[in-house]
Amino acid sequence: MSNRFYRNKWLPLWLASPQLVVLFFFFYLPVFLAFFWSFYLERPFGGGSQFVGWQNFERVLSDPEFWTSLWRTLTYMVVASSTSIICALVLALAADRGIRMSPLARNVLIWPKAVAAASIGVIFLFIFNPFMGILAPLNEMFPGFWNPRINPVHTWIMIYIANIWSAIPFTFIILLTGLQSIPDTLHKAAAIDGAGPWRRLFDIQLPLLTPQLFIVVVLEIADSLSGSFALIDTMSQGGPGGATNLLVYKIYVDGFKAYDLSGAATQTAMLMIVVAAVTAFQYLVVEKRVKYER
Amino acid sequence: MTALAHAAGIHLVDLQKTYSKTPVIPGLTADLASGEFTVILGPSGCGKSTLLNMIAGLEKVSGGKIMIGSREVQDIPPKDRGLAMVFQNYALYPHMSVADNIGYALKVAGVPKDERTSRIQAAANVVNLGDYLDRRPSELSGGQRQRVAIARAIVREPQVLLFDEPLSNLDAKLRHDMRMELSSLHRRIGATSVFVTHDQVEAMTLADRILILNHGRIQQFDTPNNIYHKPANTFVAGFIGSPPMNLVEAQASNGAVSVGGVRLAATETSGDVTVGIRPEHIKVTESGIPVHVAYREDLGSHSTMVVEMENGQTLRLATQLGEPIRGGEWVHITIPEDKLHFFDAATGDALRSD
Repeated sequence: MSNRFYRNKWLPLWLASPQLVVLFFFFYLPVFLAFFWSFYLERPFGGGSQFVGWQNFERVLSDPEFWTSLWRTLTYMVVASSTSIICALVLALAADRGIRMSPLARNVLIWPKAVAAASIGVIFLFIFNPFMGILAPLNEMFPGFWNPRINPVHTWIMIYIANIWSAIPFTFIILLTGLQSIPDTLHKAAAIDGAGPWRRLFDIQLPLLTPQLFIVVVLEIADSLSGSFALIDTMSQGGPGGATNLLVYKIYVDGFKAYDLSGAATQTAMLMIVVAAVTAFQYLVVEKRVKYER
Repeated sequence: MTALAHAAGIHLVDLQKTYSKTPVIPGLTADLASGEFTVILGPSGCGKSTLLNMIAGLEKVSGGKIMIGSREVQDIPPKDRGLAMVFQNYALYPHMSVADNIGYALKVAGVPKDERTSRIQAAANVVNLGDYLDRRPSELSGGQRQRVAIARAIVREPQVLLFDEPLSNLDAKLRHDMRMELSSLHRRIGATSVFVTHDQVEAMTLADRILILNHGRIQQFDTPNNIYHKPANTFVAGFIGSPPMNLVEAQASNGAVSVGGVRLAATETSGDVTVGIRPEHIKVTESGIPVHVAYREDLGSHSTMVVEMENGQTLRLATQLGEPIRGGEWVHITIPEDKLHFFDAATGDALRSD
């Protein structure tokens, strides 16, 4: 930023201050406090805290439950973001090709964006209810066919479907815009060069869609993590038997149900490091393969 | 590269295109000879790009037949028609290198890598891009991109080369250079070429034959020379030439044709006719028809004028530079009788004396 542009050197800071204040109070301060508390033993009902050095980390890192939960969290990030992006991509490709009813579908697909993840969780919990939901008739024919309250695989299927449903609108819009910005003559040129629709998808559309794919991967991986809390809280509460106890939910339970504030803060710090590492990997390694040329 | 053996003629038989009941091309029949360079010329919306896209297979045919060589192709996909196309905006794949752009068709066709590399190199050499194979299209100038597009088209040694206004994105000088290159390229390669444009200069300079299209109908399909000297109707007469031909409503009687009482020439017809006279054929002379110079433009190599006859009839004329004539002056003009064109006043079709 050139100093000559602003005569008053405080003006730029003043203009940026609303953003900075919001960022400070809602992002940097909590992050800082999480790291700060991870080195202290906090009392559950307030009043005095004690510096304990790396003891919190030793305790958390030696807890096998933390590692299972972290592993589940990473798996969830990968599976949830990839399934939702693939579904949105298929829909965007269909809408881009202008198949029948696509203008209507384009509008309908935006609607889930307006619904909070918690509401989506409640709705899907009802839809997949083993006794009243859409699969209830199958349960009557084959008892035990579907029960997400007991069978962890069923629970995961239910959560993934709810996540896909809530994640589609944003990803769909970004990918559809990306597809529509690919000039029509490229399709024509490729068609004359002999490439059929599938060949064009892999040789022309997907490479030229990589900028949009990259940004939705980055955002979906982060979003799947934060969005998972509301889904798990409304649908499974980490169950059955801790099978869906992702780190975001475990932190909440440890901190606010079990009042292990320091343990929760330490796990938050660990989670933050993991997320930062994943994002850094994406920008440093994955982005190199993104084709920005136009 | 000798593709002469591959060249195939194109035969359009009662070809039709209708967009939601609006006929764009009501029924078009034409034979484009093998190895011939045909330019399809016409104003915007005349159906020329639609016609090209139908030959390419990028648009469905509503009726009629397209034959390439002896094959009927209207129902087979573009890739099986043995043709290549150069687009107005180049349509290069931005994420691929120049070599990959040129070789994409070969790759799709499963040509082995070694053969591919040598054919890419050969095609790039033809358009003088041999040293640019590793570049991306974004690193090239407009003219170079157009050459890549041409190399991509010729690398497959197609029977038919299609051009969709390929020069209109280039600046004037580059357009002139590319025109010369395309012309010599065509002589070397010899593929049957179809070139769509709205620029009559491109049409006159490149074409073996020009197909002039208006409202989806062929107005004239002939050599540039015949199009210029023997326009088939008033549309062609008014479309070709810059400034365009003067078209004057005239009356023929007693063996002479006259405009508002002023005798222009002898004729055998009688009744109402449209008389056409090219601006460059009108001479400023010592005596003749008196006219008032209403407007004058110097263009360096020549100058153009709009003159008004005593009866109010205006004419455009072009003279060699150096005529000391100013706007507002009265001068005399002579119209050579043998340069006049006669058209039916009602239909606009040429009235041929021969």
